[in-house]
Amino acid sequence: MIDETYMVLKRAREFPKDSWTLKRALDDGAYDNLKKAVTEISQADLIELVKNAGLRGKGGAGFPTGMKWSFVPKDVFPKYVVINHDEGEPGTFKDREIAERDPHQMIEGIAIAAYAVGANKAFIYCRGEFALGSRRMDRAIKEAYEKGFLGKGIFGSKFDLDIVLHRGAGAYICGEESALLDSLEGFRGQPRLKPPFPAIKGLYGQPTVVNNTETVSTLPHIVANGVDWFKGFGTEKSPGTKVFSVSGHVERPGNYEVAYGTTLDQLLDLAGGMKDGKTLKAIIPGGASAPLLTHADYALDFDSLKEAGTMLGSGAVVYMDETTCMVRNALVTTEFFAHESCGKCTPCREGTSWAVKVLRRVESGEGRQEDMDLLLDIANGMDGRSFCPLGDAASWALRSNVKLFREEFEAHVREGRCTFDGEHKELVGARSGIDTGISQQGDEGLGGEDRLS
Amino acid sequence: MSVLTDEMRSVAEQIVAKYPNRRSAALPLLFLVQSVEGHVTDSGMRDVADILGLTPAEVLATGSFYTMLKKKPQGEYLISVCRNISCTHLGAHKVFDAAREKLGIEPGGTTPDGRFSLEAAECLATCDGAPSMQINYEDFYKVTPSEVVEIIDSLAAGKDVKSVAGETVRPAKDIAFETATAGLDLPHETADTRERLVGGESPPSDMAPGHRPVVPGIDAPPAEGGGS
Ligand SMILES: Cc1cc2nc3c(=O)[nH]c(=O)nc-3n(C[C@H](O)[C@H](O)[C@H](O)COP(=O)(O)O)c2cc1C
Ligand code: SF4
Ligand code: FES
Repeated sequence: MIDETYMVLKRAREFPKDSWTLKRALDDGAYDNLKKAVTEISQADLIELVKNAGLRGKGGAGFPTGMKWSFVPKDVFPKYVVINHDEGEPGTFKDREIAERDPHQMIEGIAIAAYAVGANKAFIYCRGEFALGSRRMDRAIKEAYEKGFLGKGIFGSKFDLDIVLHRGAGAYICGEESALLDSLEGFRGQPRLKPPFPAIKGLYGQPTVVNNTETVSTLPHIVANGVDWFKGFGTEKSPGTKVFSVSGHVERPGNYEVAYGTTLDQLLDLAGGMKDGKTLKAIIPGGASAPLLTHADYALDFDSLKEAGTMLGSGAVVYMDETTCMVRNALVTTEFFAHESCGKCTPCREGTSWAVKVLRRVESGEGRQEDMDLLLDIANGMDGRSFCPLGDAASWALRSNVKLFREEFEAHVREGRCTFDGEHKELVGARSGIDTGISQQGDEGLGGEDRLS
Repeated sequence: MSVLTDEMRSVAEQIVAKYPNRRSAALPLLFLVQSVEGHVTDSGMRDVADILGLTPAEVLATGSFYTMLKKKPQGEYLISVCRNISCTHLGAHKVFDAAREKLGIEPGGTTPDGRFSLEAAECLATCDGAPSMQINYEDFYKVTPSEVVEIIDSLAAGKDVKSVAGETVRPAKDIAFETATAGLDLPHETADTRERLVGGESPPSDMAPGHRPVVPGIDAPPAEGGGS
C-alpha cells in the first residue's frame, strides 16, 4: 500500500488537535513563506516560480495558476483576488477541511497570490453553509491582522492587503467563477459571457484572479521548497499533490492527499477498501459532473482521466458497490443539477427538469423502453449547447449512467419496479416542490402570500 | 414599516463598509433581516433596498435566488438532511423517515409550534460523514434514525446539542446574524488608502458591476452603489 504525501494537509494531519490555532501555525512556520515572498522575491519572479512549478488549479478546471496570474494586466488598478471557497460539487469536501483545519495556511496563500498579481484586496467567497469554517477563518484573519501579516506594509514591505470574508447563501452555481463574481456584487449568481475572462474584467469590472482554496493553500509550499521539489511529486503534466475526497461505499471515507498519478485502486486501498468487502461497481472520479468509470485501474491525473473519457474535476471520488441502483444514482444526480440550474439558458433549465421527470418515471417502474433513448436525446440537447459547464456536466453524468448501465434501466421498465431495494422511494419525494415538478434555483420564489406590493 | 432598528442599521452600515460597492452587501443584509424576522420578509427587503439604494424589486431578484434565504417563516431549528449521492447511497432516506415521523412534517415544512423545520439539502460537503445532516448549519456525521430522534428531543427540551466538531447548536436567528456579520471587525481601509506597488490608472470612484458596463448616452451613470 502506498502512503499519503502531505503538503496541504501536513499541518492538519500532524497536529489534529489544534492545527487551526495561531500558536500552532506559527510554531509550525506559518507566514515564513509570505515573509520570504514579499521581502525576497519580486512579483514577476513569483509568477514565474509558480508557472515553472506547473501548479494547476484545484477547483475543477485544472488551469495553470501561474499562467492565469500572468494574464492580469499590470497597469490597471484596483485588481482583486477572489478565493473560491464555495465548494458545492457533490462528493467534494476538501476545501472545507483545509479551511477548518488550517486557515492560516490559506491566508498565507491568499497573501502570496495577492502579492504576485499586485492586488490589495482579496475576497473569500465562503459557502453559506460553512458555519465552522467561516468562524475559524474569521478568527484567523483577525489574528493575522493583529500580527501584521495583513493590513499595511506587510513584513516591512510596500505590500498592503485586506481580506474580506464574504458568505454565500446557498447556490451551487456560485462556484462557477463568473457567477461567483455576480453573486459577490449582490446579484443572482448567474454565469457571465466569457470572454472577457475575470483576469481582464472581473469583480466590478476590474482585473480579478479567482483561485480555489486548495490552490492557494499550496502556494506557501512552492515558495518554501521551489520548483524542483514540487515537480518531484506527481506526473509531468500534473505536478504536485492533490487532496482527494473519498466517499461512498468505502471503509474509511475522508480526505486523502496523494501525488497526482496515484491510481484509483491505490486510493481505494488508502480508504480501507470497499465497505464490508463488497464488489466495486462504479466510480465517480471527479465529482458529480464527471462521467462514471467502472473499474479502478486509472491514474488520477488530468490527462489520464481525460483519456478515459472523464475528468479529475474537483478530486471528489465516490466508490459505489454492487448494491447501488444506478437509476437512483442518475436520478439523484440529475435532480441536483435541475435544482441548481440557474435558469439562464434553455437547454440546461429545461433539459435537466425533463430528464428528472423521465428518470422519476423509470425509477418508479412506470417508464417505457423508449425512455432510455429519450434520456440520451435530452443529454445531447444540453451537451455543448448550454451557456456554462453546468449544463454540459449534467448531460455527461446522465449519459454515462444510461450508457454504462442501460440494462439496469431496462430492467426497471420491464419489471415495473426498482430492481434493487425499493425502499428509497420515500427519498425521491423528499425534495420540496416535488409534486409540481422540480424547483429550480430561485424558483421557490419569494412571494406567494408574501409578495412585494 | 421598518424592521431594522437604528442599531441594526448601524450594523448594516458596517457591513456595507466591507465592500467597494454598496450592492455587494445585499446577501449579508438579507441575512441580517433574517436574523430579526426569522425569514426574509417584504418589509425587510424594503429596508435593504433603502439602505443599498436599490429598488425593492432588485433586492427581491437577488434574494429569491438563494436557498439559505428563507421565504417562509422558519422553525428555531432547521434540520437539513443531505439527499445527494454519497448520502443517498448510504441510507439518507432512513434519516429522513425518522425526522419526518418524529416531527410530523414533510421536507420544506415547519412544525406548528415553530420549533423545527426540515429540508432536503444538496451535498453539504460532509460526504465522509454520510449520511450527514446539519442543524442550523452545524454538522452531524453518520446519522442514525435513533440519533435524529434523540437530537430533536434534546433540542425540544432546551438541552445543549453539540455538532461533530463540538460546536453548540444555536437558534436560527443567531446563526443568521453570525452569517450576516462574518468578518466584520476588521480594519478594511488599507485598500483605499494604499500606497501602490507600481503606478497605474486610478480606480473609478464608484464602480459599476463588472458585467454591466455603463454605455455613455444610453445608460444613466450608475446609481449610488452601482446598481444596474
Ligand atoms: C458549475 C461549476 C461549479 C464550480 N464550483 C466550484 C467550486 O465550488 N469551487 C471551486 O474552487 N471551483 C469551482 N468551479 C470552477 C471555477 O469556475 C474556477 O475554475 C476555479 O474556481 C478557479 O480556481 P483554480 O484555478 O484555483 O482551480 C466550478 C465551475 C463550474 C462550471
Ligand atoms: S448551463 Fe445551466 S447553470 Fe449554466 S447558465 Fe445555463 S441554466 Fe445556468
Ligand atoms: S453527498 Fe451528502 S454530504 Fe455530500
